Amino acid sequence: MRRSGRELLPALLFLLPFLAVLVVFFVYASARAVYFSFTDYDLFNAPAWVGLENYRALFRDDNFLYALRNSLVFAAVVTTVQTAGALVTASALNRRVRGMTFFRSAFYMPAVTSSVVITLIFLWLFQRLGGVNYLLTAVARNAPAIGAFVLITVIAQTLQVWGERRRWRGAAAGSKRAVAALDPALLVVSLLVAAGATTVLGLLGHLAPRGTEAIAINWLQTRQEVPAGAPFPLRAPLPLVAIMVQNAFTTIPTFMLMFLAALQDVPRSYYEAAALDGANAAQQFFHITIPSLQPVIFLVVSLGLIGTLQMFDQVAIFGSAVPLQSVITLAYFVYNRMFPGAQLPEVGFASAAAMFLAALTLAIVLLQRTVLRAEGDR
Amino acid sequence: MSVSAIGTGAAAILARERWEARRRWSRAALAYLVMLLFSLVFLGPLLFAALSSVKTDPLAYPPKLLSPQLSPANWAAAASLGRQGAGAPLWGGFAPGAAVTFELTYFVPDGLTAEAPSANVPRRRPGGGLGAVQRITYAADYAEVGDVVEVARRAADGGELVTYRVQVGYPGAGPTIDRLPLDVQSPSREQRFVSSTLPPTRLERLGLVASYETITPGALGYLLGNYRRVFTEARSVTTGQSLFLRWTSNTFVYAFFRVLITLAIATTAGYALARLRFPGRNLVFLLVLFAQMVPTQVLFVSNYLVLRDGIWGLSSLWGQATLLNGLPGLLFVTALNAGPVFIMKQFFESLPREVEESAMIDGAGYWSRFSRIVLPMARPALGALVILAFQGAWNDFFWPLVILTTPEDVKTLPIGLLTFRNVYGNSGDWGLILAGAILSALPVIVLFVVFQRYFMEGVSYGGGKE
Repeated sequence: MRRSGRELLPALLFLLPFLAVLVVFFVYASARAVYFSFTDYDLFNAPAWVGLENYRALFRDDNFLYALRNSLVFAAVVTTVQTAGALVTASALNRRVRGMTFFRSAFYMPAVTSSVVITLIFLWLFQRLGGVNYLLTAVARNAPAIGAFVLITVIAQTLQVWGERRRWRGAAAGSKRAVAALDPALLVVSLLVAAGATTVLGLLGHLAPRGTEAIAINWLQTRQEVPAGAPFPLRAPLPLVAIMVQNAFTTIPTFMLMFLAALQDVPRSYYEAAALDGANAAQQFFHITIPSLQPVIFLVVSLGLIGTLQMFDQVAIFGSAVPLQSVITLAYFVYNRMFPGAQLPEVGFASAAAMFLAALTLAIVLLQRTVLRAEGDR
Repeated sequence: MSVSAIGTGAAAILARERWEARRRWSRAALAYLVMLLFSLVFLGPLLFAALSSVKTDPLAYPPKLLSPQLSPANWAAAASLGRQGAGAPLWGGFAPGAAVTFELTYFVPDGLTAEAPSANVPRRRPGGGLGAVQRITYAADYAEVGDVVEVARRAADGGELVTYRVQVGYPGAGPTIDRLPLDVQSPSREQRFVSSTLPPTRLERLGLVASYETITPGALGYLLGNYRRVFTEARSVTTGQSLFLRWTSNTFVYAFFRVLITLAIATTAGYALARLRFPGRNLVFLLVLFAQMVPTQVLFVSNYLVLRDGIWGLSSLWGQATLLNGLPGLLFVTALNAGPVFIMKQFFESLPREVEESAMIDGAGYWSRFSRIVLPMARPALGALVILAFQGAWNDFFWPLVILTTPEDVKTLPIGLLTFRNVYGNSGDWGLILAGAILSALPVIVLFVVFQRYFMEGVSYGGGKE
């Protein structure tokens, strides 16, 4: 420890700017938040000690209960969707093809723009006469054509795979190489056949768009919750669903790139060996991709949980366009009690909610780590 | 299992090879198809918003990708009208001495006598939101609408197409006015509006009235009308300066200093944590980790109060009683950014120690070792840090929202856009909001296109926003 004492002074000098900020804006601030959470304080009168009263009051506050429910539902749904979505898209894109850099940048574009810009764009898309409802209408009206395309693809693929399997069994007996259900060479043919057949059927007038009425879901100015029959803790208000879509959309590319980077390190030979042994795409995905990505999945789920549990921006941006209780989250609840507009700020109450949010985040992240680790060890 | 003959075996191998080649090609084709689809999904909303931001009404149903604003023929017409209105083919306007000729074509069915429509310059405010409360000069007070005369007539299926011409003049003296709105009313529903020199902004009363926001837009004024409104409509109450320009420059200043501060703090603290041995080092490092995890909401109550009081009166040394509503306060509180410190610590640890140790033998002090040897080696990491810090500052939402509240002049772009949303969103005037959003996203997108590599490095550090 001789060296450690000698380097104290230079270390202090190097750390001085950071330490000053850290002490004032982190250590002192955290300590004060803990203290405030036990007091009744409105910024004008001196804080009065009330013990655990604020924490008890939290669970009697309607908005807090809504915020808690919304935060938990939001975190559960979005973390699942974004992790699964990122994982699937990453393994679909894990190819060495020319122009990959270009596509990677294209995917990452939504993630570099600010949350305000993306949220405003989605707020516009989710208007009653907006792009989302229009897209739903278009899909509903063109259901015959879409259905025909999918059906013909499936039939063509099944027939081809069946034929090929029979042929291989006859020609190269003893070959272990089975034709996969989604074999690319056959799939291209099936898709082309389906596209051609659908076009012809369409021209012949068999797939006329249905005259369904335009879908005009009220996504924003509504207190409607889905799924309708579910108990309160499992329902999500429609405006929150809109935010879920937006959030998954911006986070999937980021997490997908993290998965892609990790996938580059998985040796190709694993997949080749598995293919030789006749493992299909799904088996490769579950037995090679997922186990190799275990540490990154860890990281992504943790980052996802932290990010979604503390979601704030979107609520503030949706603001008056939606009923508060439909989108309020714990993070916004804290802000709302600190700056309640015309009323007196409830600093103590807000701090208690903030402490609750911090504890909840920590608990859920730790729980997730234990569960995922146990899964990984099995 | 039967043993196959040698000949069939060779044929099978050939067939197998052709089959494999076909599979490779198909796999590549499918990969590109999938990637194109994904790009469409991920870029779709951004591109659609960019295309729609030039529309007069981005909520028009059904939504279309292309609008009249994107047609070159209309740009030519708009340029010529802009020249007639104010001698300004690019940005248009309505100036003294102007004589604007505007033509409209109607369909008159057989058995109906064609009648001239009536034209007038209405006293209409631009859009909703701020445009609805501003003091403006009305073109109606200066314009003189001439008689509507028939200029052409040709046969069409089941009737005739009749073209009328109207002249709008600006006799006498007066100010140059931005817009020259026009309403043209058809004498009857049966006499149907078909086309005009410029397409109407909207058809009102079931197609009876063709209504124009301005008939002298100029080419750019026609294409980028919403973008122009972003700059011109919102003005500071005190200085009259364009708010959007002000927000943009605020954001640039904030981002610039935030980059400097991040560099200074992350490199010095990261170096100390990576290389120097001192008591309490583990404690500091633990705090760095904690600071990344604790929600901002826990800290913001106290930090808000500390800034309100000017860090216990410290700020009164340079004459500011409070650090709220100003960039210095924002810079102080966002200097607590433990992520970059963590990144730099990891990076410095990955550098070889030998170079530094030989410098130490030569008697170089801590500072010169840091500034002359370590920092130059850290250039790639510093590049990524600059980009991430800039992006972080440019997109920063929470702290500016808390600290920069009044007046509008102190805000940064994201918070300013929120003002736009509150003012315009409720009246459904989305053109201006989208234009502002696209404009505010441009700098980061340009930066991203130029310095992609650094952004991707940022991803591998586990950065990336929610």
